[in-house]
Amino acid sequence: MSDPAFWHRMQFAFTITYHYLFPQLTMGLAWFLVYWKWQALRTGDEKFNQAVRFWARIFGLNFAVGVITGIPMEFQFGTNWAGFSRYAGGVIGQTLSMEGMFAFFLESAFIGALIFGEKRLSPRVHFLAACGVALGSWASGYFIITTNAFMQHPVGYEIVGTGKDQMLGLASVSDFLLNPWAWIEFAHNQFAALVTGSFAITALGAFYTLRNQYREQASLYLRSGTMAGLFATWLVALPTGDSQAKMVAWHQPVTLAAMEAHFVGGDMAGIAVIGQPNVARQRLDNAIELPGALSFLANGTFQSYVHGLDEYDKDRWPDNIELLYYAFHLMVTLGSIFILLMFLANVQRFRGKLETSTWLLWPLLLAFPFPYIANTLGWMTAELGRQPWLIYNIFRTEQGYSEVVSNGDVIFTLIGFCGLYLAIGVIFLFMVAREITHGPVPEEAHTNLEGRHD
Amino acid sequence: MIEVWYGVVTFMMLTYVVLDGRNFGAGMLHFFVARTPEERRQVVAAIGPFWVWHEVWIVGFGGTLFVAFPKLLAASFSGYYLALFLVLWCFAFRGGALEAGGHIPDKMWRQFWDVVFTVSNYLLAILFGAALGNLSRGVPVEDTGMFSMAFFTNFSPFGNPPGHVGLLDWYTVSMGLVVLIVLGAHGASYLAMRTVGPVHDRCVRCRRALWTATPAAVVVIAIETWIVRPALLGAFFAQPLALLFALVVMAGAAMIFTGVRAGNDRRCFLGSGAVVIGMLAAGAAAIYPVILFSTINPNNSLTAQNTAASLHSLQLAALWWPVAGVLAFGYLWYIGRYFSGKVDVERSTAGPY
Repeated sequence: MSDPAFWHRMQFAFTITYHYLFPQLTMGLAWFLVYWKWQALRTGDEKFNQAVRFWARIFGLNFAVGVITGIPMEFQFGTNWAGFSRYAGGVIGQTLSMEGMFAFFLESAFIGALIFGEKRLSPRVHFLAACGVALGSWASGYFIITTNAFMQHPVGYEIVGTGKDQMLGLASVSDFLLNPWAWIEFAHNQFAALVTGSFAITALGAFYTLRNQYREQASLYLRSGTMAGLFATWLVALPTGDSQAKMVAWHQPVTLAAMEAHFVGGDMAGIAVIGQPNVARQRLDNAIELPGALSFLANGTFQSYVHGLDEYDKDRWPDNIELLYYAFHLMVTLGSIFILLMFLANVQRFRGKLETSTWLLWPLLLAFPFPYIANTLGWMTAELGRQPWLIYNIFRTEQGYSEVVSNGDVIFTLIGFCGLYLAIGVIFLFMVAREITHGPVPEEAHTNLEGRHD
Repeated sequence: MIEVWYGVVTFMMLTYVVLDGRNFGAGMLHFFVARTPEERRQVVAAIGPFWVWHEVWIVGFGGTLFVAFPKLLAASFSGYYLALFLVLWCFAFRGGALEAGGHIPDKMWRQFWDVVFTVSNYLLAILFGAALGNLSRGVPVEDTGMFSMAFFTNFSPFGNPPGHVGLLDWYTVSMGLVVLIVLGAHGASYLAMRTVGPVHDRCVRCRRALWTATPAAVVVIAIETWIVRPALLGAFFAQPLALLFALVVMAGAAMIFTGVRAGNDRRCFLGSGAVVIGMLAAGAAAIYPVILFSTINPNNSLTAQNTAASLHSLQLAALWWPVAGVLAFGYLWYIGRYFSGKVDVERSTAGPY
């Protein structure tokens, strides 16, 4: 609380965490829609179209809440982080603007065509609309990740002006857009979004199978969801998660040490399976460690040396080491469980027994919230790990907030967001539950239920 | 380079106001032109499929402002802090109303969302109007290039303590009311073009009344502007571009006048767009190069030059922005062509939105 930027950070963290629940599902679902639409074109089987119609409605609800909660994100760069915007706007403004101009426009232009245009568009054009939405949502992700990657690992910039007029300018578009950090972060993040999508689709398949409803659709969801899930859960760990960790080890060694609560540097550094960081005493309490694992993760050999927090000034330490440590560890644990779960599901699917394996369908149904949690934990790791910098090694977080905005103003708007987002969440869940209860019924039946052909 | 980016940012703002302004207008007139639940669905269907598509243009505008004038964005967004969050929340309510309201054909559900929709649109129009008023009046920019101000201040036109003005005063609120009238007229022109039946007839009546009130409102606000910032009117007449845009307003007004006479809804709506664009563009041309005038000390004013990103950044952005702009306007043209035509009571409930 002594941090002058505390409430600004709280508000940004709250609104971005809430916001990202929605785009991660749309980015995860988008390629399923493309795949099913393509299968419908290829085979002419109506069940694929039916699946697209159903999931496009879920997609639409997520997209709408994503827009409603996303616009405040762009505004907050100016309202709450005026110091940061003044200093770095010449660089990060580029990608934030590209996101709007290239990606968001594309996605929002085609989403209407995807959800409402089936009757008016030819199947081929409708397929292209699905592709447009998928491309738009992933491009959107890329521009945002590039912005974040610049904050993690700044490249392609120049410093212009002096004194209080000093600011960053863009030196090279290609260096900035092709930041190596951005590629790895993007791949890791997108596979994580696919994990969310796969688990959501699998869970609904499991739900309908357990209830013995819409069996043809349920079977399709289980098949597509577990197939994509098998690859996505694996790829999010290897190679993308692994490369991300090596990148952190290389460019932000103090962050890696904090993620592992590795207070003292040494050879054959371990990863804690269990343990509670005790920052005051600078040690890990009750630790059970896998010896050499951190050395292997960071450098590829078990014996190698890993830097400890003691080698750095305290004013360069991330300011919430405990939370950072738990976020990282819980993410890795959840990721490992996802791999196991999807592996089992695929074994049963190849044996043709998935739909009768009640013991497995239940965990698959109940697992769907956890990828959301793992995604959130991953972002917490990235953002807490970046502290105390807004732009790594260049610009500190306490330089970036809006000094003209008082804490009273920020707490007021944060309370407002809490109330508003609670209401939005309740309405959203109600409407999704309603779609799920109506189910992926054929077109005609659904419009009668909705009363659209009165 | 800076002049070009000023033009681009203004252009994005105009596009946003013309596109989303019709939604504000339609939302405000919601309960006037539609008397039954079915008719209200018709109004919503006329704008429904577009709301996201129109709202994204404010993201495009914000992004363009960020890339070209980051210091202006930092100063104005943090200075307008509370007002901007009210705008954001109204956006959320309006989007929620359009998205949630249409999905469930239940009387109470729809009644609730219809009211939310209307109220949030009124507030949005007034807040944006007040923001425009702040732009033309000026704000208390300090020598740090930042400002903060009270939400409510002086509502008396005389005995005004110079300098420390607030967000809402007699001048900015009257600007809000003028914007309410103009956007209401714009929305009525749009709905008249897109609807048939009793809703259409009521829209035509609203359109005539609101456009008749507009010239008087503009004269009043011009006089008020002359009181709060006398130099602005002089700058207006000295700037040829501003006079050119004034001609666009005249042409638009002529189109509305003849359109109303001939019962040509399309011509009326195009004229309405020209009036909105012309007025805002003329204002933007008149204030240049000052964007946010400082009421404390004119030397603190934020200009296009002292808030722009580095020249190199602007040049690099000029490489990709035109591509994005062409694509965006391509989608706009395609969608506009695709979703034209009238919405009637039957089709609105059956129709996709």
